Order: sequence, then structure tokens, then C-alpha cells
Amino acid sequence: MISCRNLGMRFGDFTAVDGVTFDIPAGGVCALLGPNGAGKSTIMKMLTGVLAPTLGEASVGGHDVRRDSLAVRRIAGILPENLGLFDLLTVGEHLLLSGPIYGLSAAETRARAEQLLEALGLKDARDTFAAECSHGMRKKTALALALLHNPRVLFLDEPFEAIDPVTAHTIRDLLAAVARRGVTVFLTSHILSIVDRLAEWIIVLRNGRIVLQSAANELPRSLEEHYFEVAEPLKVADLTWLGSFPS
Amino acid sequence: MYQQWQSGLFFLVIFAVLLLGPLSGDPLQAIPADRLAVWPLTLRQRLALRVGSLALIPMFWIALPFLFYAGGLSIAILLIAVALVIQLAIVLWNHATSGKPRWRALWRVPKLPGRLGGLVQKDFRQMLSVLDTYAAVLLAVPAMFYRWFGHPDADASMIMALVVVIALSTYAQNLFGLDFPSGIARYRLLPLRGREILLSKDISFLAAVLVLTAPLAPFAGFAAGLTALAAGHPASVLKMQPATRWRFSSGVMSVAFFQVFLLVAVGVATARSSVWFLALALAGYLASLWHSGRIWDRNI
Repeated sequence: MISCRNLGMRFGDFTAVDGVTFDIPAGGVCALLGPNGAGKSTIMKMLTGVLAPTLGEASVGGHDVRRDSLAVRRIAGILPENLGLFDLLTVGEHLLLSGPIYGLSAAETRARAEQLLEALGLKDARDTFAAECSHGMRKKTALALALLHNPRVLFLDEPFEAIDPVTAHTIRDLLAAVARRGVTVFLTSHILSIVDRLAEWIIVLRNGRIVLQSAANELPRSLEEHYFEVAEPLKVADLTWLGSFPS
Repeated sequence: MYQQWQSGLFFLVIFAVLLLGPLSGDPLQAIPADRLAVWPLTLRQRLALRVGSLALIPMFWIALPFLFYAGGLSIAILLIAVALVIQLAIVLWNHATSGKPRWRALWRVPKLPGRLGGLVQKDFRQMLSVLDTYAAVLLAVPAMFYRWFGHPDADASMIMALVVVIALSTYAQNLFGLDFPSGIARYRLLPLRGREILLSKDISFLAAVLVLTAPLAPFAGFAAGLTALAAGHPASVLKMQPATRWRFSSGVMSVAFFQVFLLVAVGVATARSSVWFLALALAGYLASLWHSGRIWDRNI
């Protein structure tokens, strides 16, 4: 379903993604992990046709992401990094806007919107403008938008961050269920406890390069151990002035 | 002497309105609102920052000598005072409405049918939340009364219709200003071509133009509106810049001159020569929609 060959992205002299290669078959959950700035969101943007790769090639559902990004966006449900909501539309209006653009009838859009609002705990926020929503509600709205048109592949950039634990578990179960029905889920996350239970494939990035790629059940140690091994720890020992106040 | 001063006043007022637009811009926009809110500044310091930020607007330094030259010291001081009052009103408005829902009235804009209906609804709301629209209303309504109550001068109505379109024209060269940054990201994810996205934006703009200019000079107004969009599309997709609600739209000065020159020429030609200039404006609009739509698609 998702295929990358030597995919890369350069911004001037800076290499954000450096020749990554992987294949994700249809149906199943793949987690793209890595520290901040590793290149996860850049890969998401290239796979969803938002950024044109400067190196290599990639396809989603057989559509080249560079030449046929419109077709990719038709079959994909996308939760972008900055959520992509319109300030002057309410939560409910976002869903009613999106359905017809993907070819759903008004009645079908309304029915699906009701179910998603219910499932994601957004019913009370239906008439709230996006600009007035909390970050968690905005994220759930963006997730509902990604699911509304029954996509063949889901690209979710940090779907569990800023979400309350109960809803996070609901979303995890929802994603596991849609993956069992054949939808491919490609997500990034920093919440390893959820990823550990959900993902069937793990890709870990560092400095734009893949440092670990494996089926989740073939990892010799726990996901957390692997992750901490490849991520660079921060140095906080020198910040001695923190907590020191003049008498 | 009195008549000379009086005859120049109208153009001075129009010029002042055009200048006050940029002067009502907010240089503090460069600082994220949440960050500004948590800085330990007193109310007096915040007011000083707000008023002092006027000096950071290039138009302020361009306008000041011109106003002094054109209208004398008193006119220059008066317009600067108006700009300061606008800044002060913004501070007070933000203070009074902080933490409260601000856009309840915009709920009343209904969703339109069709594939692009939801986007058009959003764009109507955006148009209703910039000052350009209200400036256009302020210009159009007295002109309508002037026409209806005993002054059916076709030329005067045509000129006022064009002035109304000029008031709206900056919005037409920054159509995505109020979508920053999150809405732009959504547009890039939707399975829509650039021309469809632009069309959804143009529908709300043209509707406003039609409503405001129909009682004055509908053909000239509509032709000018189409021309404003045709000239504004490239800037809208190539020179996107963030806009703020309840402010005047900001645009590129060179584009604005080109846009105003074209829309006045096409509007006058439509009213005075032939309605075929409306067809020419439509053709120009469609070509611009196609061309700028392709630019959008390529940039994606």
C-alpha cells in the first residue's frame, strides 16, 4: 500500500530525510518513531503529497505521490501535524464540509458525522468554532475528518498527543479495528505504551535516516529499550541555575 | 478658495481611508498572542507597545509627509489621531472579549449546497470578519440613498460602484490570509484542484460585490469585481500573508496599483462603451482562475 524508495528531502543545505526505503502492505498498522526533528512529519508530508520529495520516489495505493498527489489525497485520511482546521467553522460544520468534497451525499455525511461525533466524544462541541476548542478537541475533530470518507489508508501525525487517556484508548481500539478490516494505518507517536500494543511494524528514524525497521513481534527487546538505545539523551546536568533563587 | 478645498476633500477622504487600512495593521502580530499575553508587562507598558508599534508600519512614514503636504498639519494630526484611536479600540476590544466566544453572529451564515458549499460558507464568514467589507458597506449605503433620493446620475453611481470594489480589492489579492496557518494545511490535504479552491473563495467575494454594487451600477461593478479577482489571484497563491480578523486586509502595493488601474479601466469601459467589456472581464477572470489554479497545484 505504501512504498518508498530512497526517499529524501533537502531544505537548502539541511537534509531532513536522507534516502529512506520501506514497504507497508495493505491492512495493518505501521508506527514511525523517532525524536523531535528526526524527519517523521516530513515523511508524512511527502507521502500525502504536501511536500514534493527532492530525492527518490514513493507511492500510496499505487499512485505516485509526486505525479498524482490528488489521487493519493482521495484515498487517504490524513491527520496533519497542525491539524488543518478552519477557525471560522464549528466542529460539526467541518465534517459537513468534508463529506461532499470526497463524494459523499449530504445524508450520508450527516449520518457518519453523528457517529464520529459520538465515538470521539465531540457531541457537546459540535457547535463550537474550531478557534474556540481546546487542543484535544481540535485533534479529535481532525481525526474525525480523516475517518469520515472511509479512506483506504490513514496517515496520522501524533494522533494520541493532547488526547485524554480514555479517548486515546478508544482511538487505539478504533484504529486496530479499521486495520483488521484492511485499512492501512501509518502513524507517528511518542507514546510508546500505545504504539507497543497497536503497531505491527516499527520504523525508527534518527537524523532523517532509518535506524531500526522491524515487525513489532520480531523485536528482541521491548520497544522502549530499542527506542532509548537509538535516541540521543538530553544533557540537563549543566542547568544548575534552575531552582536557585537569590535569598 | 472654499470651493477648491471642498472639491479636494472627497479625494483626500478616499485617500485617507486607503491609508488608514495599512495603519490599522498590527505589527505586534509578529509576536504570538499567547506569548505576548504571558510577558510580565503592565497595562501601561502594553498600551505603549501598541501605540509605539505604529512607528514600525512603513506606510506610517510614507503617509505622514504626504498628509502634511496635501492637507496641512491639522489633517495630518487628525489622521494620525484616528489611527491611534483604531489601535486603542483594538486593545480595548481584545481586552473586553478575551476568553469569550467572538463569532456567534457568524453562525447565521448557512451552509450552501454542493461540493464546495462548506468552503463557500467559511469564506463568507471570513469576508464578514474583515474591515474591508464594512468599509465597502459604508461607502455603498450612502451612495444608494444618494441615488434613490433624487440624484440618479449614472456616472456618479458608476464611480461609487468602482470605489466600493476598490475598497474590497485588497481582500482579493490575499484570499488565503485568514486561513493561516491551519486552514492552508487543510486546503493542501483536500482532494481539490487549485482552480476549485480559488473558485470557492471567489464566489463569496463576487456575491459581496454584486450585493453592494447592484443598486449602483451592476454591470460595471461586476466587471470590476471579476477584474479585481483576476489581478489578485496570482498574488493570492504566490504571496500569501497572514491576515487578522477585524482588520483591513493587507496586500502588495504594486499589485494593488495594477489591480485598481485595471478594475477602474474595465469598469468604466463596461459602463460607458459596451457591456461586452463584461464578457472580456469574465474571460480574463477565467484565464486567471485556470493559471493561478495551476500555480497552486504545482506548489503543492
